[in-house]
Amino acid sequence: MNSRLFSATAIVFIFLCIVWQQTATAKVYIDINEPGFRQFPIAVCDFENKSTLITAGDGVNEQIAADVRFYLGLTGIFELLDKNSFLDGTEPGRPEIIRFPDWSLIGADFLLRGDAAIADGRLTAQARLYDIARARVIFQKKYNGHSGDVRQIARAISSDILLALTGDEGDFNTKIALVIKKKNASDIFSINYDATGLKPVTSHQSIVTSPRWSPDGRYLAFTSYKEGRPAVYLRHLPTGRERKVAAFPGLNMCGSFSPDSKKLLLTLSKDGNEEIYALDVESMKLTRLTNNYAIDVSPAWSPDGRKIAFVSNRSGTPQIFVMDAGGDNVNRLTYEGNYNTSPSWSPRGDKIAYEGLINRKYQIFTVDMQGNNPVQLTFDETDNEYPSWSPSGRQIVYSSHRGAKTRICIMNANGQNTRILFEGKDHLAMPSWSGRPDTVD
Amino acid sequence: MRRYFTPAVIVMVLALSLIIFGGCAEKQAVVKDESVQSQPAAPPAPAPAPATDDEAARKAQAAREAAAKRNAAALAALNIQNIYFDFDKSNIRLDAREILKTNSEIFLKNSGSKIIIEGHCDERGTAEYNMALGERRAEEARQYLINLGIDASRMQTISYGEERPLDPSRTEEAWAINRRAEFILE
Repeated sequence: MNSRLFSATAIVFIFLCIVWQQTATAKVYIDINEPGFRQFPIAVCDFENKSTLITAGDGVNEQIAADVRFYLGLTGIFELLDKNSFLDGTEPGRPEIIRFPDWSLIGADFLLRGDAAIADGRLTAQARLYDIARARVIFQKKYNGHSGDVRQIARAISSDILLALTGDEGDFNTKIALVIKKKNASDIFSINYDATGLKPVTSHQSIVTSPRWSPDGRYLAFTSYKEGRPAVYLRHLPTGRERKVAAFPGLNMCGSFSPDSKKLLLTLSKDGNEEIYALDVESMKLTRLTNNYAIDVSPAWSPDGRKIAFVSNRSGTPQIFVMDAGGDNVNRLTYEGNYNTSPSWSPRGDKIAYEGLINRKYQIFTVDMQGNNPVQLTFDETDNEYPSWSPSGRQIVYSSHRGAKTRICIMNANGQNTRILFEGKDHLAMPSWSGRPDTVD
Repeated sequence: MRRYFTPAVIVMVLALSLIIFGGCAEKQAVVKDESVQSQPAAPPAPAPAPATDDEAARKAQAAREAAAKRNAAALAALNIQNIYFDFDKSNIRLDAREILKTNSEIFLKNSGSKIIIEGHCDERGTAEYNMALGERRAEEARQYLINLGIDASRMQTISYGEERPLDPSRTEEAWAINRRAEFILE
């Protein structure tokens, strides 16, 4: 082998090493979509006030850490290590020393430390996220708020941790709309992702169904029988003003918004049977999209706005179909089972969640865009219905119905780490996940 | 063997060690400060509905229910019967044809009144799909009555989906009577 070729090889090798090192530092740490995904072990230390002059008081440092643990726990992708196992102490008043091997020993991949102080009614916190394996800081950031903003700051820290590790801020600032039915009267309520703040959106005390948020967060559309017949209403959330947008003879049912929030899909039977239409909410122009002597219902727009999934019984039983946003190229997506409904499109665009009847129970499934790989996500002895994706595409909210008892549950997109968001003695149905509030005016 | 120790190999070894030690050197906790304000989080809370509007709606609802009750007594005297459907089906069954024939005679005798046809489903399945299925059942009944000579303009359909069961129990018997169309003369 001649030495010139060898030198050339060596240069290429060095170059590749440099490139490899750079991509390694730019890497998003957690690929939660990979099949073998396991929860990531993180140690969240109680925050500590290193300044000897200012006291945070009232356990603010402990509370922030506890809230961060709570929020990270909600995501279902972290294993929160027991703080009693932490070996690495700190010495107050001294510069922070992180003994990475100690953290490695208890199985932590990531470590969060920080400190908080209250002065003049302002809460100042600093958080530092460490990568234990690489023994370095991932981020350090300061947070300011009013002295009572412990939860908000914990939520902001948690969002930053998710953003740093997964490239996505998560769903902490989102809401879920749901239908609560007492006897024969229902209304739409909303609840925060962290299960706080349950409040009524409508007070129609009628048949109220199918809540759908506009992705920009300004509107909630729904079906209501408050005037005796089904009509579709658009509620402007900041003002609470409601506008009736569809009240034709026959059925008027609410479907989902387009990604730009400008169009609302509807099911109307005014032209003879149940067809899907797109309504331009500004101009009120109505465009018919389906033309088939079968039930076409429950339309859901794809995140890129190019496709619409819907339910049709044109092949004899209700199944999920996909068509172009203009109504062409209708393709059947589901073939297994004889009852597949409630399509919800993943914000990542690659999957549709739906409910299907299997062994006399309704269960949540996902299927890819080619109709391949249907995956059953729920298996328990309950009816699990109405899947709706979180904006991050990592979690799915659904209703779980056993006997007279219903719950609203959230699970990871792979069907694991289920938690109960809300349960009560009334009938709960049709949970619908909001968009992200940073897109609100 | 000897020729493996060429300058090129030495360069490679050096490069490799640089990367390894370089990696170690990087393991110092470099702290950079990105000061930010915490974001005010939640989207605007849905404002409560204007009370008057919903108050009016509730009163109208109560009035409708009272009227329906009065009507029910009169209807019972007329002996109009419901028709029933199979699970996830909207076609008019043989037994339903007989009933529709009898009902149509009553409707023809009361030619002054409007006919509301209500479509209903059992609780199984998706509420949204059932809304559509209930509409389809009411519509199928309407078409059948048109064929029996009832004026189309007298008839109006409404679907209640699975929201108004006759029997709320979760049994085959209850589901069978909940999958129905009801006829109301106004």
